[in-house]
Amino acid sequence: MSAPGASRRTVLQAGAGVVLSTAAMSAPAAAQVAARRGSRRRRAYVVVLDGCRPAEIDGELGGDLMPTVRRLRSAGRTFPRARSLPVMETIPNHTMMMTGVRPDRSGVPANAVYDRELGETRTLDRPGDMRADTVLQRCRRQGLTSGTVLSKEYLFGIFGTRATHRWEPEPLVPVSEHAPDVFTMDATLAMIDAHDPDLVFVNLGDIDRVGHSDLTGTSLQVARRAALASADTQVSRLVTALEDSGRWRDSLLVVLADHSMDWSRPDRSVSLSPVLAEDPFLADRVVVGQNGGADLVYWTGPARDREQAVRRIRRLALATDGVLAAHDRRRAASWLRLGPEAGDVVVYSKAGWRFSDPSPGSNPLPGNHGHPTTSPIPFFLSGGHPDVGRGSSSALATTVDVAPTVARFLGLRGAPRGGWDGVPRL
Amino acid sequence: MTVYSPTRRAVLAAGAAGAASTALLTPGAHASPAATADRRAFAHGVASGDPLPTGVVLWTRVTPSSAATPGSGRGPRVEVRWEVAEDAAFRRVVRRGRAVTGPWRDHTVKVDVGGLRPARWYWYRFTWQGRTSRVGRTRTAPAADAEPGRLRWGVVSCANLQAGWFSAYRHLAARDDLDLVVHLGDYLYEYAPGEYGEGQENTDVRPHVPAREIVSLADYRQRHAQYKTDPDLADLHARLPFVVTWDDHESTNDAWRGGAENHQPDEGDWRRRRARAHRAYDEWMPARMSATADLGDGTRLFRRLRFGRLAELSMLDLRTYRDQQVATPLVDGEVSDPDRTITGRQQLDWLKDSLRPSRPQWKLVGNPVMIAPVTFASLPAELVDNVNDVAGLLPRDGSPYNVDQWDGYTDDRRELFAHIRDRGVRDVVFLTGDIHSGWACELPYDAGTYPVPVDGETSAGVELVCTSVTSNNLKDITGTPPGTTSRGVETAIKADNLHVKYLDFDSHGFSVLDITSRRVQMDWWVISSRTDRRAGVEWSTSWRTRAGTATLEQADAPVGGR
Repeated sequence: MSAPGASRRTVLQAGAGVVLSTAAMSAPAAAQVAARRGSRRRRAYVVVLDGCRPAEIDGELGGDLMPTVRRLRSAGRTFPRARSLPVMETIPNHTMMMTGVRPDRSGVPANAVYDRELGETRTLDRPGDMRADTVLQRCRRQGLTSGTVLSKEYLFGIFGTRATHRWEPEPLVPVSEHAPDVFTMDATLAMIDAHDPDLVFVNLGDIDRVGHSDLTGTSLQVARRAALASADTQVSRLVTALEDSGRWRDSLLVVLADHSMDWSRPDRSVSLSPVLAEDPFLADRVVVGQNGGADLVYWTGPARDREQAVRRIRRLALATDGVLAAHDRRRAASWLRLGPEAGDVVVYSKAGWRFSDPSPGSNPLPGNHGHPTTSPIPFFLSGGHPDVGRGSSSALATTVDVAPTVARFLGLRGAPRGGWDGVPRL
Repeated sequence: MTVYSPTRRAVLAAGAAGAASTALLTPGAHASPAATADRRAFAHGVASGDPLPTGVVLWTRVTPSSAATPGSGRGPRVEVRWEVAEDAAFRRVVRRGRAVTGPWRDHTVKVDVGGLRPARWYWYRFTWQGRTSRVGRTRTAPAADAEPGRLRWGVVSCANLQAGWFSAYRHLAARDDLDLVVHLGDYLYEYAPGEYGEGQENTDVRPHVPAREIVSLADYRQRHAQYKTDPDLADLHARLPFVVTWDDHESTNDAWRGGAENHQPDEGDWRRRRARAHRAYDEWMPARMSATADLGDGTRLFRRLRFGRLAELSMLDLRTYRDQQVATPLVDGEVSDPDRTITGRQQLDWLKDSLRPSRPQWKLVGNPVMIAPVTFASLPAELVDNVNDVAGLLPRDGSPYNVDQWDGYTDDRRELFAHIRDRGVRDVVFLTGDIHSGWACELPYDAGTYPVPVDGETSAGVELVCTSVTSNNLKDITGTPPGTTSRGVETAIKADNLHVKYLDFDSHGFSVLDITSRRVQMDWWVISSRTDRRAGVEWSTSWRTRAGTATLEQADAPVGGR
């Protein structure tokens, strides 16, 4: 499914320098929205603490850095088994949160893929890359409104104009291409104040971004600690605003991460490209899409040679230091749930290692994710609405559960063709 | 574990100083279901174990004639009836059947009953020629996809009958809030009277039967029979299902796959002796071996039991497949030899499969010997032998590691911990016995730098170690009052091992494990004396690990009531 067109949008200066764009609604939809304003409404807020490790909420790094988040978790319903899903990267997991379907149905398996048509690897940051419907659009079609406040440029890109209201991240930090959390929350509060959407999808990117680049070492993690504390402050601002405006009692707040984070020493990097290039059968006929702790390997030779190529890629990968697993994407399709966009072989690194492709200098970042050690995520439901529930559940919640959970809470009708891959967790 | 037979002078009757403890829990007031039982025909009581959502193993032994004593090989072939009811009065019998037994299996009866409902209490009994056993109570596991709000288990190990009374079992049986009992091994001991009794003089509080070290099949059967007639153990078996594994003393001390410290050439072939021990265990214990309750179809004891989505218990066998303990670890460095194993290849692969993220939330491992690395580098030399006598913590060559535990097989531990980290496995809890002392440990990826993270990670999980029911601890060996010599040793060990959060070398008793989705907590309960049949019990301490953290914190109160 293609994204709705962006042709008819209005731009609003929402205060504090925040610029929001809003899709023009059809007259009936606008009427429905207006009609709903008078009755008691439900509001859902999905806040992604990008790259947050579950134990960081419990003070893993020492000190009480996230008191608000921990309090919300205690007061709500938490899922300590929760996991990110392959590939444990930002774009696919945000896509799963809003589509409720796995990458083999959405077309979004990783951050970086090899685009066979273009003949190059690229980031999946185009609206057309996402082929599944989202709850953002479902809201719009059923007379509700939605908003996206996503701190990262590529998330802004792929979600495009699916939401009724959206914020383009700014100011952007050079290199990381994300907006600092304080600006993201400014925009979130401005959007709620100006438009009061029924569903708001927020990505706070600081924890992830400093996690990638924290050069104070994997032990001190000074910047990481600061980012955790800052993110907690931003969540606190949101809760306070909802409480002060009387919205809290009608609200579901979903707090989760898209993936966790792992750190590697400078010498713990794996470059598969040179290894594969040395093999005469594979040379010049494979491309690697590097995703931190996961490499997607694409066979570009004749289809009839694929089986042999996959065998050789797997054997060479598994013989390389730092490689944990190398899966034939097709044979593992039933549980990896990755489509052809993910290539032919999915290679994971061990904990404490990272991939650096195509060359050893390509990925100098100490913090990475995408590999299984980065699967555990925080995931809890909070908010003032009585449907939220309390306690702790041993259910295996995942990022793909967010969409059906939100849909149920908001009373959205229908489900994707073929059903949700996720489970409502209310 | 290593035990020695010290013959040093007595200083103090062990446990005397502890007798002043306040008895918060006393034996239960619940009516004994044994009142109408035929204690001659069913002299060894009843037991149940290995609960599944729809099934459980039931056990008894029938004595059809006076000649049919345990280990005698005598007595007729008989048919025993069994029935399972939803009520103690057997008004609602839901399953019944018959089982044949005889001298070839020492007149034991073991039935794997199916067709039951999940998470239910059931009552069971056996009948032979109109004579009825005492009534046992058991409980099925929750359905595989259920989310029980909590599980609460008793956890015990190391019950040496010669060293004291089984008051720990009595106090566990008195509680009304438990689902089952996990026994982590050393359920019985192999020694002769006068060997490894109570305290410094090896006093036999009650002597073993037969009055010799057990070696033959008849010996092992008789020893099992003696333990099964202990009233405290019998009551606990009748009240709750057990999940058991063996450590070394169910065969003999410091067993490994090719021998044992306490197996001598004049005691015959080791593998034949071990086969006899395993045969008697299969006959006398309410456990599935090689996945069945049948006899003679295999002796694989490592197995998984699932409790809904909340928890799964993987019970290990760390004696049958392990290589020999290293004799001189500082000299040859064999403790880290990747070719040496404590689990065996098949069991280690199986254990890694148990520790997959898709399995139930709490991944509990019934672990007969400690997995936490422990160094004793700064322990005062004069205490080394005493610590050794308790728990074999130090080889006498001065090595700072206990080579009978996972510390003697570090490559298996390295592989297991790497698996936990690589796969992002959370909520792993090792439940351990063996060393006659209470411990609560985090499990560092790098004990040398702990708690500084290694690439962001610190701990693979936690280990909770219950103390012994009766077997000698440090104060028993040194003959010093509780909280004196031991406290110094505990302090030194904790100072050298920052991941060791709690250590008690002085107490006997049991633990209670409470499992909820938010956290797992262990309570340590200590008895006032091993030599007092009516010993009281009091709460000692509690530690818990919160979901996702792999770390420990002290809890300020025990769970539940009685």
